Amino acid sequence: MINAEVIIVGGGVIGSSIAHYLAKNKVDVLVLEKNDIGSGASSRNGGGIRQSARDLREMPLAIHAVKNLWPYLSEELGVDVEYHQKGNLRLAKNNQHLKVLEKIVEHGQSVGLDLKMIDGDQVKELCPFVSHEVIGASYCATDGHGNPMTTTLGFYKRARELGARFITGESVKSLIIKKGKISGVKTLENIYEAPIVIVASGLESRSIANTAGIDLPMQKVMLEALITEDQSPMFSQMIGTAASDFYGHQTEHGSFVFGGMTGLEPFDSQEENAVTRNIAAPSICRAILGYFPFFENVKIIRTWSGFLDEMVDHVPVISKVEEVPGLILACGFSGHGYGISPAVGQLIAQMIVEGQPSISLEAFKYDRFKPRV
Amino acid sequence: MERFELIVIGAGPAGLSAAIEAASCGMSVIVFDENTRPGGQLFKQIHKFFGSKEHKAKERGFNIGKNLLNEAEELGVRVELDSTVMGIFRNKEISVMKNDSVKHFKGNSIVIATGASENMVPFKGWTLPGVIGAGAAQTMMNIHGIKPGNRVLMVGSGNVGLVVGYQLIQAGCILEAIIDAAPRVGGYGVHAAKLARIGVPFYMSHTIKLAQGIDRVEGAIIVEVDKSWKPVSGSEKTLEVDTICIAVGLSPMSQLVRLAGCKTLDDPKKGGIVPLCNEYGETSISGIYAAGDVAGIEEASSAMIQGKIAGAAASKDQGYISEDEFKARQKKLENSLLQLREGMFGHKSTAQVTHTDEGYELSHSLLKKGYISDTELSHYPGIPTEDDLKDGLVPVIECTQNIPCNPCQDACPKGCIKVGDNITNLPSIETSVKCSGCGMCVVSCSGQAIFLVKQNHSPGYGLVSLPYEFSPLPDVGDIGYALDRLGNVVSKAEVISIKKTPVMDETAVLTMKVPSNLTMKARFFKPAMKEEKII
Amino acid sequence: MSKIIGRALKKDDFVEMPDDHIIICRCEEITKGEIRRAIYEGMYTMNEIKRYLRVGMGLCQGQTCNKLVKAIVAKELGLDMKDIEIPIPRSPARPIAMKAYADDGYMR
Repeated sequence: MINAEVIIVGGGVIGSSIAHYLAKNKVDVLVLEKNDIGSGASSRNGGGIRQSARDLREMPLAIHAVKNLWPYLSEELGVDVEYHQKGNLRLAKNNQHLKVLEKIVEHGQSVGLDLKMIDGDQVKELCPFVSHEVIGASYCATDGHGNPMTTTLGFYKRARELGARFITGESVKSLIIKKGKISGVKTLENIYEAPIVIVASGLESRSIANTAGIDLPMQKVMLEALITEDQSPMFSQMIGTAASDFYGHQTEHGSFVFGGMTGLEPFDSQEENAVTRNIAAPSICRAILGYFPFFENVKIIRTWSGFLDEMVDHVPVISKVEEVPGLILACGFSGHGYGISPAVGQLIAQMIVEGQPSISLEAFKYDRFKPRV
Repeated sequence: MERFELIVIGAGPAGLSAAIEAASCGMSVIVFDENTRPGGQLFKQIHKFFGSKEHKAKERGFNIGKNLLNEAEELGVRVELDSTVMGIFRNKEISVMKNDSVKHFKGNSIVIATGASENMVPFKGWTLPGVIGAGAAQTMMNIHGIKPGNRVLMVGSGNVGLVVGYQLIQAGCILEAIIDAAPRVGGYGVHAAKLARIGVPFYMSHTIKLAQGIDRVEGAIIVEVDKSWKPVSGSEKTLEVDTICIAVGLSPMSQLVRLAGCKTLDDPKKGGIVPLCNEYGETSISGIYAAGDVAGIEEASSAMIQGKIAGAAASKDQGYISEDEFKARQKKLENSLLQLREGMFGHKSTAQVTHTDEGYELSHSLLKKGYISDTELSHYPGIPTEDDLKDGLVPVIECTQNIPCNPCQDACPKGCIKVGDNITNLPSIETSVKCSGCGMCVVSCSGQAIFLVKQNHSPGYGLVSLPYEFSPLPDVGDIGYALDRLGNVVSKAEVISIKKTPVMDETAVLTMKVPSNLTMKARFFKPAMKEEKII
Repeated sequence: MSKIIGRALKKDDFVEMPDDHIIICRCEEITKGEIRRAIYEGMYTMNEIKRYLRVGMGLCQGQTCNKLVKAIVAKELGLDMKDIEIPIPRSPARPIAMKAYADDGYMR
């Protein structure tokens, strides 16, 4: 039996971030991770750090993270998270695309985001490598990208230095409730006790929350990504498309990371393990070449896949569960948790240490999902 | 998407054998290989193989490869070259890159026979140009006809290091030394002896400390290691070499096995990460088989048998042969495989062997220095006695370790050589039978360990016939040097005859005249340099 | 199933070794010392070391260095080599040009 003030289930970017901010506030925290640190979606994502094209509910967290946390994170963690704030370009090739983007821009501007439409020439100026077929884009200058792997491991490393305890290879099977409150968790072989348990286990959060009688409208979606051989520096923006057929950026190392979908998700991705499909990488390559013919002869080194924990409204659950005192959920990030991970860690730490987060998390309540009337 | 009853990945000995076996049972088979030539490593293996007739012993690797390919094509197997399998996906689908496009294929069964890759040992300077894998050196020489360097250090005394070391010399390189961190030579003693008698020094219990040079290798410093593998300070030696060949073992190329999702284990005896297989080579995924080095590092001979077993098993799975037919085939193949795994190098032996199965003490000098010392030599059953030698022409078989190999037994038309049913037995000579001097035993021995000796040829002189695989071939009447087992010049020697016929498969029998008292010492003929006067 | 590993901080300081400068991952030019330090900083599995340092992310995808890195991890953490899992290999088994990958028969 091991005791801590807070147990975090999941050593991904969210769990490690929470651990870091809690440890920084001298909270005795224990992280239990089933596999390696950052083995789930945390090390399988495209590394986008953007505010644009987010649900309005997430916008305050994204803006806060970009303004106040990301620029200082490498220094704070003592690990280069390769944060680059060089803008996000969302490309359009036809009028239908432009319409999609105009909506996104309008949306962003309504909360004061520096987001605008630019024309084909302006896109070329920012990124000379795009195809002449690109007729415009939305552009958010304050968006950027980072390295999700070093970010996750950086949170872990720093949290560990600050006294957070991590145990890997511990698969949490259920939550323990005693006298109406959370008292800990049960793993395959052990019981760990703490008055507060934070479930930040991505896709598995649902089955773990189920053991305390809480269900979440979440499903699994497989996404695939690929990485190229390294290239000399070409462009530093995060790239996306109005058609959402691929996204990507050039990493500090020189390689490009691209992600995308086949169009058959989620029906084609219900395997137990995240294994790549033979049709996915070719499909992503076609999408990329449609916008960047330059990449024709650039070689793909590696592809990988990961599961998203997709909520029905594509917005995460970051929430105390009042009916089970001591239980906090931080999951369902639906494929865009990386960019807001420092904010989520910081706000949950505030929730625990100060009783109240500095930015309201009311919009992320676990019980917000209501059936059609 | 094209669908085949069997997809084979890798056109090496295991893959081609699997394809042949399956096609002969009636299956539709396609084989993919990323190389331009089929045959895997066989096509660069110019040495003669060990084993027995059914294992294609005394045939050279590249000829075995050619024959396998012909057989496969005659059976209607489709062999796709320059075709890289990018991955194995669910439902036994694979993606194959050929030229500038990718195609997807589906198989009812898949045999993964992707072989192995070379291990590296890190030392200061190991990333310099000039440090190459022994396999890479072999490819350069035997496929592309390029000399990898001029002065070479071979790191590793396993069969790969020894065989490639010999080929380097055949290609005209100088092999400065063979080193190994282990205290004894790892490969067959007969392979080591081939090098020692040309004068290659063996440094056992030595490791490479660093490669010298800025832009490329200009030298190497080796150092002795103690029993706990720690360098002994002050024991450093500098070797002037421009190439360092690394032959420190192979690792199974298990990426595709793991990509497919097959369960694996790390088995040091099999060279690393291998799929968990049943006795037929079937992995944890039903219908996906692994054969050859990818299932555990062994020789090409055993890879061919494993391939056949997998091919037969897939044929049984898909109803092309009956359970009984399969069992019968499998049993025969299994026995053949077991034969190869016998002996002191078989993968079952773990202990440091000190004696042969027959009870003869192993040659310490052979294990330490690569040659059998004069005092140890007479112990073995293939060595004639003093009395035998007085009688005239006799074979001398310097085969002293239990290796699965028996072509010498069938080579002698007079029945003078005996190995017995157990192919790892040491050959013995029957001196009551008169040797005709045909030399067929000499060329049949893949380890080049058989010599013919006639102590009294003319007053004071005797004859030694030895296998010779260097070019140019000396001419009859040429005068050169006789070298002993450790490569020292013991006398001058005159070439009395050179015999080379098609059936000898490129191994010539060179007979040289040496002083009578040296006939049991002289084991190599070194031609004199041009214009060199021999006194 | 992964082995249970506690990630407690090391009590002693990081000690440099004379052979720390030797390159282990030649594709990404990562030294033994960098790997040892990553382990000291808490990267206890091959996957974590790979993600932290890029070991094995180069052209050979770890076929050459996996064994070498594994030996270092085993030594530093006092583990048996065969208990250390190596990263899962990823398709494509060989680098492939985007153009070739894109042309897989599903193009219009």
